[in-house]
Formats: sequence, structure tokens, C-alpha cells
Amino acid sequence: MRISTVTIFEQSVASLNRQQSSLQHTSLQISSGRRVVNPSDDPQAASRAVGVDQSLAITDQYKDSRISARNSLSQADSILGSVKDAIISAKGLLVQASSDTLSDVDRESVASELKGIYETMLGQANATDGNGRYLFGGYKDNAQPFKKDASGSVQYQGDNNAREQRIDATRLMAVADNGKTIFKSVPSSAGYVAEAKKADGSLNSGNVTFRGPQIRDVNDADYGTDFRITFNTPATFNIETFDGTDWNAVQTEGYTGNLGDTSQQVTYGGVSINLEGTPAAGDSILVAQAGGEQREPNLFRTMEEAIRVLEDPADTDAKKADLRNTLNTSMRDLDNALDNVLTVRASAGARLNELDVVDVVGANRMMNYTETLSDLVDLDYAEAISEYSLRQVGLQAAQKTFVDIKGLSLLNYM
Amino acid sequence: MSMFSIGLSGLNAAQNALNTVSSNASNMLTPGYNRQITMLGEGSAGSKGVQVNDIERQFNTYVASQLNNAKTQSSALSTYNQQVSQIDSLLADRAAGLSPLMQKFFSSIEDLASAPSDPAARQGVLGTANTLSAQFRSFDGYLQDMQGNINGQIEDEVTQINNTTEQIAGLNKEIALARARTGVAPNSLLNQRDHLVSELNERMDLRLNIQDGKSYNISLPNGQPLVTGTDTFKLEARQADYDPQRTVVGYIDGGGNPVQLDESTITGGTLGGLMTFRSETLDKTQNQIGQLAVSLATAFNEQHKQGVDLNGDQGENFFATRSPQGYGYTNNSDPNLLTSIEFDPATVDKLRATDYTVSFDAASNPIVTRNDNGEVLNGTDPEDSDFVDLSEWNAGTGEGEITFGGVTVSLNPVANGDRFEIQPVRRAAGGMDTKIADLDKIAAASFAEFEGDLDIGDVRMAEGALGALPEGDSFSFSLDENGVITELDGPVTVDGNALSVGDTIAAGSRIAVDGVEFTLNEFPKVGETATLTIGLSDASSGDNRNALALQNLQSQNVVGGRASVTGAYASIVSDVGNRSNITQVNLEARQGLTDQLRAVQQSESGVNLDEELANLLQYQQYYAANARVIDTAGSLLDTILNLRG
Repeated sequence: MRISTVTIFEQSVASLNRQQSSLQHTSLQISSGRRVVNPSDDPQAASRAVGVDQSLAITDQYKDSRISARNSLSQADSILGSVKDAIISAKGLLVQASSDTLSDVDRESVASELKGIYETMLGQANATDGNGRYLFGGYKDNAQPFKKDASGSVQYQGDNNAREQRIDATRLMAVADNGKTIFKSVPSSAGYVAEAKKADGSLNSGNVTFRGPQIRDVNDADYGTDFRITFNTPATFNIETFDGTDWNAVQTEGYTGNLGDTSQQVTYGGVSINLEGTPAAGDSILVAQAGGEQREPNLFRTMEEAIRVLEDPADTDAKKADLRNTLNTSMRDLDNALDNVLTVRASAGARLNELDVVDVVGANRMMNYTETLSDLVDLDYAEAISEYSLRQVGLQAAQKTFVDIKGLSLLNYM
Repeated sequence: MSMFSIGLSGLNAAQNALNTVSSNASNMLTPGYNRQITMLGEGSAGSKGVQVNDIERQFNTYVASQLNNAKTQSSALSTYNQQVSQIDSLLADRAAGLSPLMQKFFSSIEDLASAPSDPAARQGVLGTANTLSAQFRSFDGYLQDMQGNINGQIEDEVTQINNTTEQIAGLNKEIALARARTGVAPNSLLNQRDHLVSELNERMDLRLNIQDGKSYNISLPNGQPLVTGTDTFKLEARQADYDPQRTVVGYIDGGGNPVQLDESTITGGTLGGLMTFRSETLDKTQNQIGQLAVSLATAFNEQHKQGVDLNGDQGENFFATRSPQGYGYTNNSDPNLLTSIEFDPATVDKLRATDYTVSFDAASNPIVTRNDNGEVLNGTDPEDSDFVDLSEWNAGTGEGEITFGGVTVSLNPVANGDRFEIQPVRRAAGGMDTKIADLDKIAAASFAEFEGDLDIGDVRMAEGALGALPEGDSFSFSLDENGVITELDGPVTVDGNALSVGDTIAAGSRIAVDGVEFTLNEFPKVGETATLTIGLSDASSGDNRNALALQNLQSQNVVGGRASVTGAYASIVSDVGNRSNITQVNLEARQGLTDQLRAVQQSESGVNLDEELANLLQYQQYYAANARVIDTAGSLLDTILNLRG
């Protein structure tokens, strides 16, 4: 075939261009460390890389989220630990105070010690995180959740929510517990608590004391119903239940009072309580489920009650009975509160453990994603460098042929 | 016939041949030059000398037209490739592209969920939101610049094409004149004309028709003539009827009337490459980015409105995007028929990355056509993406509102034949902005509290929702197993009709209660009633429920109801990458073919220097030989003349 001189040049130049551009492409890949520099280099890999990159970013997001969740939970955990210690010391003090050998003055000193524990506990309940946000106020983290009202008793100002955080794609985890679950709840297994007070909240005038209550028969038809023993006269009492608005007598029984060392056992709804002493008309004893509506649990109120009776000299029979009854109630309450704090703490601990597990899973996932991403778009250097050398040789060959062909002309021989 | 005249004819022929060789050698590099050969012939009857029959131009019409064809296509592909590689590089930037910025934005929302009232976390959200919106704007700006450049390039191309066609018509005339004068056409003019045709082919695809083997007639691919003999018809770059921002090609017919050419008329050459790229890739990418911006903004805004900020106010719109664009065709009965186009937040999942054409039938019923695939929207289920909502349309007067594909178009009375171009998302990303500047205004907490056991979903809140609810109060209603309202406290409406006790609500209907809208998923179980209570939340500083819901948007299918924001972005990357990749491959293949055809054409018409040098030597000797003939004849004559002396 006839070949025009222009074609010879054009073809040489085109081949030089081709070689140069592929050399340049390889060198761009090497300098950027990526096999896919532009999406057009490998559209499928590039678009999958966007997706994997996103998964990687989200996994990383959850990792951050877990760090702050762990931070909140650890803070709560350590505070719950001190609250637990405080409850245990308070319980010890109450045991000490219930000894009959203690004088009023002795009890007063126990009271002042108990007060110290109470104040510490209040401080713990109002703990803040590093940013000054209250840990136990639920969503209301910008105001003290536990505040003393005018009468000096502590009121909960927070709400019943627990802030959640997304720690994994499908897991929303509560990262804080509110004051209500910690200080105003009991575990569901808590039994009955009795309290010797009149229906209007004032102290009994007689000197009836109680022991118990004891659960006798959980299969009783009325089991689970809170009831109140109200004395009509010193010799009879009604058993009353609450219908939502009023206390109504369901049965009336006789009271024989103090029979030497034997006490009178009153049983209703499978729950019994032993009574001893002389009542006055209108005196009342409430027997209620620890977590029930009639008597909502409240650790601070329990402490306040205990401090009240210990500070007050037991100089009458009524007051002595009140001291005994209140300490009895408070010790049950403290036991329940301790169980509750331990439960909450265990749940926080379980969540901390779960964070560790999810961390491991997350780290594995991160590694997989990083690897996939690298497989998709990163460069195999060994391959790229050998490719680079090959292209270099190609370019040199093209240059050599160009020079040679250029030299071939009839003119050289004329 | 004397030796003198024979020798002379030889000298003459040698001179001619040498001229031809010099011409070949000197024009070796001239574009469009075709090699010439001196055709020698024996002298005509009686004379024994030589004569030059012809200086023949080595031109093969068949090969030339094949080459022109190939050039048209490779020029279109190369233009396309140049353009698409610009978008390709735009998307290649992994550090500053949209995808990482969206990731950072959602990461900052996660920080907000961890510390909902922390000013640093809130600042982080605003900062990343601003960066993200700026990047959306810059993406759109880049693509819009490309639109502008293409408009400019189309104008340049059209000017060049008009110049070239005029020159071809001029050459047609000169060639005819020369042919009339001397009987042969001058090779140089023929070369020029063929070269112009070849150049024209690189600008656009055309049909060449050679009349009587002499005059070149050129027409558009659809048959409309550009050059007929010595006459030319012009093209013009003009505003599109349907979009004043778009330059398209118009054809000026014999009567001087401009006619807009369909954008798909010209597909070859630079012009065709530009226009194909624009309608195939640029429009689509711009629409996809716009769709992404609107979907993200709307989903985020809707969720943000379900939150409450640190001041205790309902969340406002967080992002703004540019409103949809729409244009009436220039020949509509009235230029101001289109009164408004708005996004319809309720059907935003029907937004597609396409433009629409709205036309009307004889009864003034709208016909909505997707521009990307030419499909007419004719869905019958209101949930379908191709459903056109005509409930606010009055076909009798031809006015009202049409809702389709996530936008609502309001029109004044239209006449038969009126048409509108609707671009819902084309420039949406250009107006992407963060509307919130105050840290306190980020609504991380939940605005309303829903309580009760009624199964509802897809909650949406209008601005000013629950404004009628007194402090500390709540709205509530109860339904029985058949959807009959058994108790009601509050303004409960369905489709704008207030309901009262005893009315029935159908499952799946949208219920509105003072600006709060939701869907009733299911009736209560048989024999039971279910209640819903809606009240205001406490707007506590530690409430992060709305922040969690906002964070969750990143994995929800908010774009067209089918893809997450990243998924949508990945599909843009894949679309552009594929398009660019295919173009490169096609271009390489086509370029190879073009190169090969050029080699074939050159092998026939190109100059080979060695060959010319050899010819030069040959003709030099030929000349010398003939000169010697004359010399010999002279000597012979001298010999005779010397006989006398």
C-alpha cells in the first residue's frame, strides 16, 4: 500500500500521544494511591465506594455515639455506687437506732449522722456531667432535679424520660436513668410495706405497733389489694380498701389489744400483719405494695421520716410507738431502695457491657468496610509500578521509531 | 512533424510534470490537498510528440464521504467526552464532594443527639449544614456554568457553520464559472470545496448530494437544505421556545422565517456532541443534584418542624432550596398564564430528576409528559409516581392547579395548544441554603407528645401546628373497631371536614388535628377502642428525640421514596461514570476507525515525499532527454547547412 508521508508522521505522533497519556494515567494512579481516580475509571466500583464510604461514616458515627454513651453511663454508674454505699450506711444507723438501750440523746446523734448521709445523697442525686447538665433529671437536664420545698422535704422536678442514643443501626440505648427510676422506685419483687399513720397523714394517737407485714397466700382472691386497718374504737377496726376516690370498709373485726406477749394477727388478701398495743379511735395502719399507688416509694422521704423520729424525743407511749413503727417502715423502705439502686446499677452495667460488645462488632465492621473500600478503589502498587515501567518502555520505543522513521528519506542519498 | 516540435512537446510535457511534482511537494502539508498526477498521452493523429491529457486530482469520492462520516461521529464523541469528563472530575473529588459533606453533617447531628443543649454541638450542626449547602450551590454553579458555556459554543458553531456553507455556495459558483470558461474545473477550487465539506462535517452531521457530478448540495439530516447550488439557507442560535435560558439551533427557511429545530435533529459533529451531552447528561445530572437537594431539604425540614427549639418554639424550616422553574412556550395564547409552581411537601417522594411538558387536549385536560423518557403521566392510583392530581383543576374554564411529580402548578385559563415546560428540580440546588442562623433555633427536642394506643404513622406538622391548644391541655379522640369516633376532644378533620362523635374515619386516611397530620394505619382490634392524645411536650433541654429522628434520616429512603441521600449520590456517580466511560470507549473505537479511513484516504490522495523525489529525478532526466532531442535536431540541421560550405 502507498503510504503518504503525512500518514507516517501522523501515525507516529498518534502513537506517541497514546503512550504518553497511558503513562500519565498510571503515574496519576501512583501519585494518588488510587486505582479509581475518576468515576469513569470504574463506574461500578466508584459508586459502590460511595455506598461503602457512607457505611463507614455511619459506623464511625455510632462509635462516637458509644463513646458519649459510655461516658454518661460510667458517670451514672459511679454515682449509683456511692448511693448504694450511702443506703447501706443509713440502714446500719437505723439498725443501731432501733436498739431499746439508746437514749434520746444517742438517737439524736444518730439522726445527725443520718442527716449527713441524706445531704450527701441529695448532692449525688443532683450530680452534673462535665457540661453542667444534671444527670438524673430525665429530659429536664438544665435544672436541679431534686429540690427542697418550703417544708424542707425533697421534691423531684425532673420527668420520667430517659435520654436515648443510637449506638448501632438498630439499637437505641437509654444512656441515662432519671431520678424517678433511681430514687422513687422499687423493684417489682418488693413486697408489702406497712405504715402507721392516720388517713390524713397525721400521727396515730394510740400506741399500737406492728410487725410485718408478711405475705401468706399469693393465691388469695384479694391478693395485691392495698388495705388500711382503721380503728373505729379501741376494740374494733375496719379493713378498708380504696376504690379510686374513697376508703371503704370491707369488713369489721374485733381488736383484743395487748394480750401479754402475743400480738393479734390481722390477715387480708393473703397478707398478714401483727398488731400490739392500745389504739385510739381513728388510728390507722396502711398495708400497701411497696411500689403501689397508695404509697409511692421515695428514698428521700424515707430518710426524712427516719430523721424526724430520731430527732424527736420519745417521751410518750405514742411517740415510742411512732419511733418503733417508723424505724420498722424505714428499714423496709431502705431495703427496697437498695435493691432498686442495685437493679438500676446492674442495668447500667449491662448496658456498658453491651457497648463493649457492640464496639467489637463495630470495629470488625469498620475493618471490613475499610478493606472493601480499599479493594474497590485503592491501587495495587506492585502492579501499578510494573505497569508504569512497561508504559515507559512503550513510550521510549515509540520515540525511537519516530526518530528512525524521520531519518528515512531519499534526500539523504541525493 | 519535425524533431523540433516532437522535442518541444516533450519539453512541454516535462515542464508540466515537473510543475505537478513541485506542487505536490510544496502542498505536502496543506490540509485538504489532493495529490495530482500528470497524465501524458501520445500526440494526436499525425503528430508523433507527447501531450498532457490531464493533471489528475487523486480524489476518491467514496472514501472521502466515508471519512467525513467517521469524522462527524468521532468529533461528536470527542466533544461529548471533553464535556462529560468535566463532570467526571467534579465527582472524583472524594474529600470535598457532596458525599463526605453529607456524612459530616449527619455526624454533627449525632453529636447533637448526644448533647442536645450543648452550644458546641449546635454550632457543629450549623457549621456542617452551611458547608453542605454551599457545596450544593457550588455543584449547581459549576453545572450551570457548563450550560452557559454550551450556549456560547452553540452560537460559535452556528456562526462557523453559516460561514462555511456560504463559502461552499461561493465555490459552487466559481467552479461552475471556471468550468464554463475552460471546460475543466481547477483542482485547487475542488480541493478547497472538499476540504470545506470535511470541515463542516466536523461541526455537524449533514447530507451531501452532488448534483450532476458538479455542484454540491448540502442539507440537514432531516432534509432541510443548507446549500443548493449557489444559494444558502442559514441556521441561527436562538432561545428555546420552552426555556429562555437555553440556546438551541433554529433554521431560517426560504421565506426568512426562523423555525426551531428539535434538539435531537443534529447529533453529529461538535454541535451534535454538545447538544447530545446537554440533553443526555448535563440536564440529568443537574436534575439529579437538584432532586437530591430538594429531597434532603424537604425531609429535613419536615422532621425539623416536628421538633421544638431551646426557646420552646416549634422548629422552623432548616434548609431552603430554589423554587421549581417553569416557562410557557413563546407561542402560547398569553405569556403570563403560569402563575406559580411550588413543591408539594406531601408528595415530595414523587420528585423525579426530570423536566416535564404540560400540554392540553381539546377539553382542556392537562397532558403531562416526562421529558427524559417521553412517558405520559397517566397513573390511576394517587400513590403512584405517575399520578396527576386534578382535584383542583377546572377543565371547563381551563384553569386551576395541577399536582404531579412533587410539584403544584397553578395556571390562569389556558387555550388549546398552550404548552408549558416545568423544571421542578433543575436549579433547586443553586438555592440550597441554611435558613437557621441562631443556635437556639435548632429543634432537637420533640414538639408534640403522642400518647395512646391508636396505630398511626407518617406524621407531618405544619408551621404553627397545635397553636390552638391551650397551655397544658391536649387534644384526644377514640375510635372503635369500625373507625367510628366514640370520644372526641379537639378539632379533628379529614380532608378539611371537621368530624364529630359518631363519624367514621376510614383506615389509611389522613387525619389532621390543628396542623398535625398523620395517617390512620389500622383500626383497633375487634371489641376494643383505641385512643390518641396529642399534647405539647415540655420542651426540655435534654430531650433529644427529634435529633435522633433527624439523624435517622440519613438511612431513610428520602430521595424519590427509593434511595437514601447517599444512595442517590452514588447513582449520580455511577451514571456519570458510566456515561463518561462508555464515551471514552466509543471514542477510542471510533477514532481508530477514523484514523484507518484517513490512512486509506491518504494512501490515495496524500503526498509521499520519496515518491515525489523519485519523480523529480525522472522528470529531470525526461526534460534533459527532450532537450537533447532538440539539440540533436539542431546538429542535424547544422550538418545539412554545412554541406554548402
